[in-house]
Amino acid sequence: MAEKFKLNDHERDTLIFNRRMIVAGVFIFLLISAFIAWMVYLQVYRYDYFAARSDGNRLHSQYVAPNRGLIYDRNGVLLADNRPIFNLTVVRETATNLDVSLDLLRSVIDLSDDDIEQYRARQSRRAVPHTSVPLRYQLSEEEMANIAVNQHLLPGIAVEAQLVRHYPFRERASHAIGYVSEINKDEMTAMDADMAANYRGTHQIGKTGIEKTYESLLHGQVGYETVEKNNRGQVMRVLDRTDPIPGRDIVLHMDSRLQAAAEKALGDKRGAVVAIDPATGGVLAMVSKPGYDPNLFVTGISRAQLADLNRSGHTPLFNRAIASRVPGSTIKPFIGLAGLYHETITPETVIGDPGYFRLQGRTRPYYDWTWWVDKSGHGAIDLRRAIYQSCNTYFYQLAVDLGIEKIHDYLVTFGFGENHAIDIPEASGGIVPSEAWKMENRGEIWYPGETPYEGIGNGIFQATTLQMAAAAAAIANHGVLKQPRMLRGTIGSDGEETDVIFPDTAASKQLLPSQEQIELVRNAMVDVVNKPYDSEHRRHEGSAYPVLRASGEPLLYPMGGKSGTAQVVQFQVDSAGNRDDGEVAEQFRTHAMFIAFDASEHSRIAVAVFVENGGGGGTVAFPVARAVLDAYLVPEQETFTEVSVAHNDH
Amino acid sequence: MATRSMNRQMNPGFYKLSGRAGANKRALKLDAPLILSLFCLAVYGLMVLFSASGENINDVERQAAAIVVAFVVMIAIAQFEVDFFRRGALLMYVGGLGVLVIVLLFGSEVNGATAWLDLPGLPSFQPSELEKFLVPMMLASYMSNRSLPPRFKDLLVCAVIILLPSALILLQNDTGTALMVAMSGIFTVLLAGISWRIVFSGAALLIMASPAWYIFLAKAHQKNRILTFFDPYRDPTGAGYNIIQSQIAIGSGGVQGKGWLNGAQSQLDFIPESNTDFILAVLAEEFGLLGVLFLVTLYLAVLARGFYIALTAQDTFGRLLAGSIILTFFFYAFVNMAMVSGLMPVVGLPLPLVSKGGTSIVTLLIGFGILMSIHTHKRVLPR
Repeated sequence: MAEKFKLNDHERDTLIFNRRMIVAGVFIFLLISAFIAWMVYLQVYRYDYFAARSDGNRLHSQYVAPNRGLIYDRNGVLLADNRPIFNLTVVRETATNLDVSLDLLRSVIDLSDDDIEQYRARQSRRAVPHTSVPLRYQLSEEEMANIAVNQHLLPGIAVEAQLVRHYPFRERASHAIGYVSEINKDEMTAMDADMAANYRGTHQIGKTGIEKTYESLLHGQVGYETVEKNNRGQVMRVLDRTDPIPGRDIVLHMDSRLQAAAEKALGDKRGAVVAIDPATGGVLAMVSKPGYDPNLFVTGISRAQLADLNRSGHTPLFNRAIASRVPGSTIKPFIGLAGLYHETITPETVIGDPGYFRLQGRTRPYYDWTWWVDKSGHGAIDLRRAIYQSCNTYFYQLAVDLGIEKIHDYLVTFGFGENHAIDIPEASGGIVPSEAWKMENRGEIWYPGETPYEGIGNGIFQATTLQMAAAAAAIANHGVLKQPRMLRGTIGSDGEETDVIFPDTAASKQLLPSQEQIELVRNAMVDVVNKPYDSEHRRHEGSAYPVLRASGEPLLYPMGGKSGTAQVVQFQVDSAGNRDDGEVAEQFRTHAMFIAFDASEHSRIAVAVFVENGGGGGTVAFPVARAVLDAYLVPEQETFTEVSVAHNDH
Repeated sequence: MATRSMNRQMNPGFYKLSGRAGANKRALKLDAPLILSLFCLAVYGLMVLFSASGENINDVERQAAAIVVAFVVMIAIAQFEVDFFRRGALLMYVGGLGVLVIVLLFGSEVNGATAWLDLPGLPSFQPSELEKFLVPMMLASYMSNRSLPPRFKDLLVCAVIILLPSALILLQNDTGTALMVAMSGIFTVLLAGISWRIVFSGAALLIMASPAWYIFLAKAHQKNRILTFFDPYRDPTGAGYNIIQSQIAIGSGGVQGKGWLNGAQSQLDFIPESNTDFILAVLAEEFGLLGVLFLVTLYLAVLARGFYIALTAQDTFGRLLAGSIILTFFFYAFVNMAMVSGLMPVVGLPLPLVSKGGTSIVTLLIGFGILMSIHTHKRVLPR
């Protein structure tokens, strides 16, 4: 019985088990069918969608920044080029855990809070998603190695090579060339759609100087490429590429050697020097001191560096060459020309100078510089002597005789009162006062007592060093004014050089007296430098002649010029009348000015020098102007040594 | 009835096989169809792994070595008499529990689970993996002395047998393995003929209890996985990233696939865990729907052979053990495929024989070794 039971059980067990296996089989069949149906749905029905998603994962369009055009001086010396640096960049979308990555980076490379702060600012103004944003510039080899070792822990972070602006001469001509720096929010919002598209791959933009003025020439046209990227944002393959068109190289009128000489001549003094080719208006040199190293700005200046720059309080970033100042006596030749043009005077007009000037019916004296020396004047004096002796009384009288309106109308035709430089838009226009100007700007009527000061350049009139140089160049050029310009030509990527000729309207507006009278003024300016002491007559030597003689080095070329001394504060003149700049605190000392030119028939150079709080124009500014002319006109003379800067740029 | 007639048809083969076994005792006990389909799966898996590991030949060599070891282990286990397993079931089960306790006390932690045992001189291994066989073995052994279907008292014993190791593994903080072990036990009980009423009421109970589990017991990452399953795009770069990228890979594979080593998603590292849990995505991208169907076919071949072995097994012990092993195997494969393709929440399970990982392959083939032992060691029953 027991055996039979067992056998029955065995069959029953088999039956139960087999039934359950069949149920399992059916179940499995259903599950597998569902799975296959699902796979068919994914791989057949939704194939197009997922294929597109897959391409979207790996394919990225990215912009290729064009190489920025180079900047050359007139002799082909590179003033601004591009050099490769390696940057640490972040693609925010793939940097899954940025804070952790940053902590890690901080431990392997030099990464300051300032860097991270700047990165966040850049990130916030990035326009195109999935593009990389620089985190730190200029990685060292060691840092790149440290990053490579930890790359697998740094998703979305990569090392990218980039060409950035480099100024091999550093401080030299820094104000004239300017610099590029990171595009800021304002600049970005100011761009129209086309320009914004063209700057998609670009990190830097010209901020000042030539870099800013010729941004559109230098920048070039952005390129595009389609690349395949892996999950960490690394580019695996380039699939399609439209090359960018590099910016045009530009050639300046600037002469790098002359620029260096002018900077050397100015030395450590604060001030400006502008040299112009009178025939073309081309700016041969533009110096502003103190200077700065524009390379600091290219990849973003740190706060510490900026604070360091500004520590002196001498505003090194400020371009003194294009800032307007009271010109002092350097204005006198132009007042003279105005008098001749309006026939208020003739070359023969002689006035008596007792050492001061009085307005009709007034008692207040306007003193000549001679009064402070020995309480006397120049006696009988004509225009030529008034210029080379820098007689104040003559020009007080002339200014009053002309009246402020005629002075205004004449001076504006000489490039004063507005910025007439063709490609230096940052330059100040200066001030040429008139009755209307004063009412508009100061809300006051013109007082007759102000007019005499305009005759000697110590009134309201202001001009930039650039304007003074251009005006001096006009006299050197026998009266014909040329608008100042920086750009001489451009070079395309094919190497073809194109000269740039600007339309020049300055000369057509000029009001010039007869050529004879212009030559008289020009010769009077030659006398300023060259007229020696006259044993017969007192005060018949040129005002700069004593300095020239004291230097012991005779001029090797004809030179004309005019000194000027601009008062910083109006000194109250006491009865003793003594004034010694040596006793005055430095910031109240007078500014020293000098305009000069090559006085040969075909003048090659005109210069304006401005030395801030320098003292007297003749003693301080004249030697600077002479050194600049020497450097340009006496090439065999080793007045300066060319520093081979191209090789010591680090 | 279908089963009855099937039984009758099987009988002659059954005697024939055992007769042959008796005639040639020295021959290796092997099952050629099973070995062949497993071998095909392994080779296919190595091909996919080569691509998934970024053409890293070292990974493939290591995997190949593990496969060779696993096959040797499988064949070795196939030589044991099936009685050995039945008689040793209790001892092995108790021993297994002991090892689990030791692991709990001295084990090393990997990925948050204290499931690994580092023995000097041996590669570290996961004793809980073996429970997938030990639990069905114990259950089958217990049921083999009793008639089917199990009575209520037997069910209670079965529940204890299942729950003890599952609880220990749960304590190791390895929920996935605990669930799989419990499943292997449940499969055994299901095959033993537990009444459908109990099955359905148990299932209903589970469904009703799941909200409570979700609210009170589920850990944050478990909730996250479930939420992500319902909407991967709630966190497309975080929790949902794996499944989104995996689906993109599968879908973009199309019917024919992008070609071996040409899957953009795979080769550009968009699929995380591409050589382990998510290797199916690589396969589906590079070999397309056809490749997936081929994989499924291979799995079905193994499954069919396993079914055949279970159905032709000589006694209750063999049947239940074989059935449970083959169902567990299918369950593994299916859960992985369903999770990678987005049909199920993500759980950390490898794709059997394809995913990188030597331990998983060795344990898997231990199971098939037992299966072969069941099939090749039959004796003539006293009739």
